[in-house]
This record gives sequence, structure tokens and C-alpha cells, in this order.
Amino acid sequence: MKISLRNKWLQAIFYVLVFFLLREWLIPVVELTDTNYLSIFLAFIVLCFVFSFLSIPWWLSGLGKLVYIFWVLIFIYTDQVFFSPEGFSFLIKDVFINLEALMSRDLSVVTDSFRTVLFFLLLWMTAYLIHHWISVRLNIFLFFFMTVIFMAVLDTFSPYDADGAILRVMLVGLLLSGLLKVAKIFESNHISMGQGKYTNLIVPLIVLVGFSGAMGYLLPKAAPVWADPVPFIQSFADGAGGGQGSAKGVGRIGYGEDDSNLGGAYLPDSTVVFEATVKTPQYWKIETKDTYTSKGWEQSVGSNEIRNYTVGDQIDTGIAVGPVEDHDVASFTFLLQYPFLMYPYGSIAAEAPVGTTFSISNNTQKIETFQQNDKVELKEYSISFSEPSYSLTALRATTTESLAQLTPEFDRYLQLPEGLPERVRELAYSITEDKTSLYEKARALESYFPRNGFIYDQTNVSIPKSSQDYVDQFLFETKRGYCDNFSTSMVVMLRSLDIPARWVKGFAEGEAMRNDNGDRVYQITNNNAHSWVEAYLPGIGWMPFEPTIGFSGTGNIDFDLESDSTETPAVPLAPKKPEKPKAAVASDSKSISERFTEMMEDVADWVSENRVQIIFGSIALIALGLILYRIRKRWMPKLLVPYYRLRKENWQSFETSYHHLLHQLSLFGIKRGEGQTLQSYAKYVDGFFGTKDMKTLTSAYEKGFYGREIKSHEWVQLRESWENLINRTSG
Amino acid sequence: MKNQEKILSIIDNIERVMIGKRDIAELSVVALIAQGHVLLEDVPGVGKTMMVRALAKSVGAQFKRIQFTPDLLPSDVIGVSIYNPKEMEFQFRPGPIMGNIVLADEINRTSPKTQSALLEGMEEATVTIDGETMIIPKPFFVMATQNPIEYEGTYPLPEAQLDRFLLKLRMGYPTHAEEIEVLKRAERSAPIEDLTAVISLEDLLHLQKEVKEIIVDDTIKNYIVDLANRTRKDSYVYLGVSPRGSLALMKASQALAMLRGRDYVTPDDVQYLAPFVFSHRMMLRSEARYDGITPEEIVERILAKTNVPIKRLVKQ
Repeated sequence: MKISLRNKWLQAIFYVLVFFLLREWLIPVVELTDTNYLSIFLAFIVLCFVFSFLSIPWWLSGLGKLVYIFWVLIFIYTDQVFFSPEGFSFLIKDVFINLEALMSRDLSVVTDSFRTVLFFLLLWMTAYLIHHWISVRLNIFLFFFMTVIFMAVLDTFSPYDADGAILRVMLVGLLLSGLLKVAKIFESNHISMGQGKYTNLIVPLIVLVGFSGAMGYLLPKAAPVWADPVPFIQSFADGAGGGQGSAKGVGRIGYGEDDSNLGGAYLPDSTVVFEATVKTPQYWKIETKDTYTSKGWEQSVGSNEIRNYTVGDQIDTGIAVGPVEDHDVASFTFLLQYPFLMYPYGSIAAEAPVGTTFSISNNTQKIETFQQNDKVELKEYSISFSEPSYSLTALRATTTESLAQLTPEFDRYLQLPEGLPERVRELAYSITEDKTSLYEKARALESYFPRNGFIYDQTNVSIPKSSQDYVDQFLFETKRGYCDNFSTSMVVMLRSLDIPARWVKGFAEGEAMRNDNGDRVYQITNNNAHSWVEAYLPGIGWMPFEPTIGFSGTGNIDFDLESDSTETPAVPLAPKKPEKPKAAVASDSKSISERFTEMMEDVADWVSENRVQIIFGSIALIALGLILYRIRKRWMPKLLVPYYRLRKENWQSFETSYHHLLHQLSLFGIKRGEGQTLQSYAKYVDGFFGTKDMKTLTSAYEKGFYGREIKSHEWVQLRESWENLINRTSG
Repeated sequence: MKNQEKILSIIDNIERVMIGKRDIAELSVVALIAQGHVLLEDVPGVGKTMMVRALAKSVGAQFKRIQFTPDLLPSDVIGVSIYNPKEMEFQFRPGPIMGNIVLADEINRTSPKTQSALLEGMEEATVTIDGETMIIPKPFFVMATQNPIEYEGTYPLPEAQLDRFLLKLRMGYPTHAEEIEVLKRAERSAPIEDLTAVISLEDLLHLQKEVKEIIVDDTIKNYIVDLANRTRKDSYVYLGVSPRGSLALMKASQALAMLRGRDYVTPDDVQYLAPFVFSHRMMLRSEARYDGITPEEIVERILAKTNVPIKRLVKQ
């Protein structure tokens, strides 16, 4: 049945609102295609709407629109303000040119004016369609939805900034949809719209839309949980999806060779790399790099010394080995294959099939594996090691003076790019000012990050611009990043204090999976790919540091201080809490809005940290919801029966319970035809179940509904009949 | 006796002489109670006259019969004033229309002039002769019969006049078994002679008053108007059901609800009556005739498509 709107005032409001929606389409189109004369197109839409609104006969309105289009053509392309002989001759000439072009299918000849006409025709059709939606169908949702999608796509993939537009579209669209819905209910139930009824219904709607719009606009917004999808899609398109962190965009976490361009978001990847069986968790080192380029790390080629070892030889990794009594063995089983070893700190010797040789590069500490002079990817091997232990007394005895005696071979570990901003150096000095020993200085740098509002994040990590320094950007601008940011920054700061330092790559300890004869089996996935810091302290040697928030680090400190225990060591290398201490010093002076913002940030952080769980959790919840929805006919009765037992026995509860029953029956598969009366339906239902309950209920319902007799009913008996039927529907 | 029992006793009484025609008896009584008139369309000899006579006898009403012929004059229907030489004045001699229950037999055999005299009487319940308005005694119920209009020598009733009949019924032939039963009963005597009144005329008038108290919910009114509206918009229909048709459907539904022992109208009542109330009030386009569509089929189709009101969408 065709519903037509009678209330002209309301219709005028609809036209005005929908005009704003359509305008949001036109603005970006005009902007992005460098079309001028936005107002001329808008005026055309207004013209179309006014004609529709006034119900001008089609021939008259069509003529009016054509005259407008021709006038616009003449105005734009001949600069004549009014219709003139020149204008007409232009039009006629143009018609011939374009007809010819169309006939010969040569679209390149088509003139701009013809394109303008086509655009006008498109607008004309759109305006007609919208007229149909708002004055006949009374439903604008489709158009509204498409507008939102259009805005989102434009905002994402084009230079057009739809921030304001999307807000306007949401407000106008929600308001219009709501108004139309109310109007539709009125129309389809033949209720006249006067008498303030309509106003009563739309006031809450306007308040609600206004309130939610204002809230949405004013509340602080969490940063996007997903990174901008465009570079991600492009990185996939470029085939740069795996391995490297170098792709300008979202990389996939894992070990890679190229670190020359750090930064950018990472996608988690839980591919298992290897399993290690070992007593205590260890960091698995692969290699180090020495040259910082302002953008990332490279390896200098200088004089490289390569030492070769065979199976069982004592390998010199350049790192101190711990006491013999701490001796331990780590066995590896690899799922991915690499032609080099991943070794714990304090490595002594490696066990592998006979004939395997190990060559360690003095430059990188990378231990490559060979069999008969060919690189080989070992699937299984084991390494005996003793975790290094450092004497705190000795560590505290390290002095800046001793740095002067370092040999030139350490120069490459003091390298810094020329363009390194001075403020990095200044920061390093200010952090370490009050520390005397080199060790304490390093420690101060290591613990600088968690105490100063830095945030661990894998997704919202920027890539430095061409003029920007990677470390400088992280320390002073973004304060947000993952291991590469933290470790590189610490290395650079150490070097700026003239302490030799290098950047270490490898894997973190992984996840303990199970116990195996007193050893633990750790599973190391690509997600555990990690980088950290080694600093050279004269008199101690190379020592690992872990500046990244949320990681525990490696290495033991021997608290061998002789005398006063008053000065407890500053919990060196103790496992840091995995949470980020964001703005940890929440002073009382903070205003509520600041706290609220912090809370929202916390929530956003939590969300971004637990992204995978949340996504899977939501999928599981949605799936569960869908399943529950699909089988609702089975469990609904179980809920409805006690619900109606608890409710008062009166007409209202009987009425709703009867409708629930009808709904259940239709879910069960017994559907009432459109024109079927309740009595004939009841007869069918009773025939189906072999009962008389539906007839009883229906008669009571009809008596109340059509006969307005809502008091004298046998509620108890009715409820029994009702329960009998509703229980049958769940079968 | 309750209202329903009274009505049922009439119907039972009619059934004693009319075999297998309970539905027609019910509908006739519905029309009688709703103060409407009935048009019976059927071939001769299926018991139309018997039906009306039985109805008249059951309520103790005066039964009059007009056999319409092409040469019948309006005065033959409504009556005529005749000069009485003894009294020296004109005296009104009432025509057959001045009865309670009138059988207008083969109404389409007479000229439109005479037809309209009857139909005016039906509508106004008064007749005007020589400037004098006479009130037809109540209750007043006309059952007109007509042969199907395809038969020759008939003057089909104009649509405007068809509108004045509440219901249009069709008797149809009895079944084989029923017809045997008819023969059996008529073997010795005509059973109609033994029929006695089961209710009085006062009772009938009371019923006609009471029926107006039957509740018609707004949703039912909405439903009736929906149905009527749809007949006006149907592509096969040239002229749909008038508001008088909607009103007729409501009144008939009230009477049927009373017959069924309810004090409120349900959609079932409306659906049951709609074909009898609507089908003679519609004019079909010629396409309908080509496609072999009857008005009854159109009404059935509309009934199947129109939502039955079972829920109030807007609380009142």
C-alpha cells in the first residue's frame, strides 16, 4: 500500500534535512575533481526538491530543470549571463558535436559541457530517488548508510578530510531516520499527525540525537586501534608482508636482516620459531650491530676476524662466562630454519651433528653453522652455558676515567651520526648527572623510560621523516614504541656519554610450555623477536641491558657489597612489571577530566595490547550470540515460563505472553498467514498438537482485545494452557 | 431466553423445512437482525420462497409476496388510493410492501420504475402516496430474488440499487442426500404449514435494538476500512465498495457476533461476511471477465492479503 505523507510542514523539514545529506556527497566530489561552481549544483538540487515538494506536474518541473541546466551551460561555457543568440548557437553546436561523438563511439571528443549535463542528470535522478524515499517510502536508511560508507571511504583513501562531514552526516541522518520512522508509524496506522502527538514523540529523539552527538564530539577519543589500513594494504600489495621491519608501513614481527629503516607498526605473528629446553629463562642472542644511521642500524665492514670452532669446542663469544656451578644446557628444536645459532649469555660450547663447524664473527657475534664449508640450517642442537654473573662491587667501581684508556677497536661502538640532535646528548647527561660509576649511569638510562611516561606499543609507532632522527623522535615526540625504539635510544645515549655500546638482536625468553625432567620447555615465536643493549664497562666487559618496558632482561647481579646494606641496590634487572607505568605519578592535583582522559587512554592501551584476544573474544561472543539466537526457540520457553509465573496475573501480562506464544509458534514453524484470523490459526495449532489450549487462549485473548473484557478471566487456567503450549514449542 | 438462543431457535425452526441450508438461514437472520435486506440470486425452484415464508412464520411476522412481472406498476407495490363512493373520499389500500417480511420475487423481471419504488421503500422504510407519508410497520425485511442476469427478458438492477441490499446470497442446489430428504418430508404434507412462531415480533424488535450494543473495536473498524479501501484500489475493480458497504459489513458483523453468542466482533465475523457484503457492491473491469475472475474471488484474495489486526501498534 502506498503511503503518502500529508503533513506538508513535516515534509519540508525532511527535504531540508536530506538536502544536507546530499550536500555532503557533492562537496567532496566537487573538491576532489577540481570542479568549480558548487553552489550551482546545490541550487539545482534545491530546485529539484522544491519542484517535488510543491508537486509541480512532471512536464513543468522537467522543463524548469532543463531550462536551468541550459542556462548553467551557457553561463559557464560562454560567460553570457542570460540566454542570447550566441548562447543558443553554442548549445546547438555542442549538441551536434556530442551526438557525433556518441555515434562514432569516440568518447574522447565529448565536450566538458556534455559531461556537465550528464552530471546534472545524475543529480536529477538522485533527487528523484530521494524524493521517493522520503515522501513515499518514508525510509532513508539506505541512503544514510551509503553516505556514511562514502564518507569513510573518502576519508581513508582520498585526501578529503571528512572529520566534520561524518559528524554532520551522523546527526542529520539519525535525526531524519528517526523522524521518518515516527511518520511511518503514524501513516501506516492511520493516525493523524496533529494534536501534538508527533511533537511529543520527536522531542526525545532530538534530545537523544543532540546529546549523543555532543557526547561523541566532546569526549576524548581513543587512538585508532588499527593502524591506518592504507599503508598496510599497500605493503601487502608490494609483497612486503613478511619478515622485514623495513617496509614503510606495517611489518610483521620476527627476525630479519635489514634494520636500516626502523619504525612503523608491527602485526603480531605467532609462528613458532623454535623450542628451547632449559632450566631458567634466557635471552637468545643472534647478532649485534654497531652503526647507527639516524634511521636504523647497519653493520660496519671494518676488519673482521672470524674464528672457527668444531663441535664441543669452547666458543669465545666475547661475553663473560658465569661460574662453573651454574652450568646449564639448553637444547633447541627448530621449526623455522636459520643457518646460525641462537645462543644464551655465557655460552661455552655447542653440540651438533659431527662435522658441523661454527664460525663466529668478531664484528657481529653471529655464529654461523657450516657443514663441509656449506652453510647449514641445524634443526636440533644444544648449547652448554653458564649465565654470567656480575659483581656489584666491581660494577660500582667502574669510572668514567677508565674510558679514556679504551683501544681504538671500540671506536665503532662509539659511533654516532653527525646529525644527531644535541638534545639527545643533553638528555643523556641530565639523566646520568648524579651517578658516578659507569654501571649506575647505564642503569639510570635503562630505567629512564618506564619512569617518564613512555609507552610500549607495536601499532601506533611512527616512522621518522627524512629530516628526523629515529631516536630523537622517540625520546622527545612520540614516546611510544617497541623494543627497537627503546634499545636504540639507550645505545645512542650510552654512546653520547662515551660508553661503548652495541645493539643486540635475538629473541626474548618465550613462553614456558611444559616441564621436561626438571627443565622447562620454552616456545619462542616470531612475537618474541627482540632487541636489547650491550654496554662495555671497562674491567667488566660486555654486559646486557634491557631498557624495553615490559621485558625482564637477562644476567645476574651478585650483590656482594661488603658493608652497609642501608643502600639497597636499585633493583637492578629485576623483572619489570609488564604494564606500562603511564603517567605513573598521578598527582592529586589532576582534574577529573584529566583523569578521565587517562582512564580512557588506559582502556585504549589495554585494548591495543589485548587486540588479538579481544578480536577472538568478540568473534567468539558474536558466534555464541548467533548460535543462541538461532536456537532461541529452544531456550526462550525456559525463560518465559518462570518470567510469566513471577508476573502479576492480569490482562497486560496475558496479552504479552500470548504474543510471545504466537512468536514462539512461528519460530517453531507454524506460521500465521497474513490474512489468517487468530481463531482459524488456533484451530490449526490445536489440530497440530492435538490440544484445545490454543482455542482457550485465543478466545480469552479475543474477548479481551476485541471485546475489551479484561477482568473476568481464569488466569490460572489460562497460564496452564499457555505453559503447556509454549513448552511444546521448544521440542 | 438469551439473545443468542432466540436467534438460534429461529434458525432451527427454519431448518425444519429447509434442508441443508443452515448457512443461508443464518445469513438471512443476520440480515433481519441488522435491519438489512437480502438479495437472493438463483435459479427458480431451489426454495427461495420457502425460505422467506419459514422465516416469516418463525418470527410471527406478516408475510407478503410480490411477484414482479414486466407490466407491474409502482402502485401495485406500494398501494393505491381508491375513491370510496359510500364514504365520499379516497381510501388508501396498502400494497404488498406494507408487510413485515416481503418476498420480492424475480425483482429483475420488472421495469426499473417499479424496482425503484420498492427499493426506495426498502431504504427509507416509508412510502409516499398522494403527498401522504406512510410508515412501513416494523420490523421490515425484504428478501428479493433474482434470476441470474444472463437469463433473457430481465432488467438488471443498477449498481446504486444493489448497494441497498445488505447481503447477496446464493442458495445453490441441494446435495443428492438432501434432495432425497426434501422429497421424504414433502411426501404426505407440506411441512411449512406446521411451522409456528418461536419468538414474537417484540422479541425481534428487541434483538434489532440490542445488536447495536455489540462492541466493534477500533482495530476491527480499521480492518473493515482497510478491506473496503483495497477493493477500491484493486486493478480488476472499476468501482470499489462504498462507505455504505463498510458500514453494512460492520452492522452485519455485529449481528453475526450476536448469533455466535459474543458481545464483540472478531475478525472472523468480518471475514465470514465480507464476500456476501462486498461482492455485489463492486463493478469489475472487463479484464476481470476475460480472466474469469469473480467478485467473490477478488474479496477472497483481499482477505488473504490484508493483515488481521491482532495487536495495537500504538497504545491508546
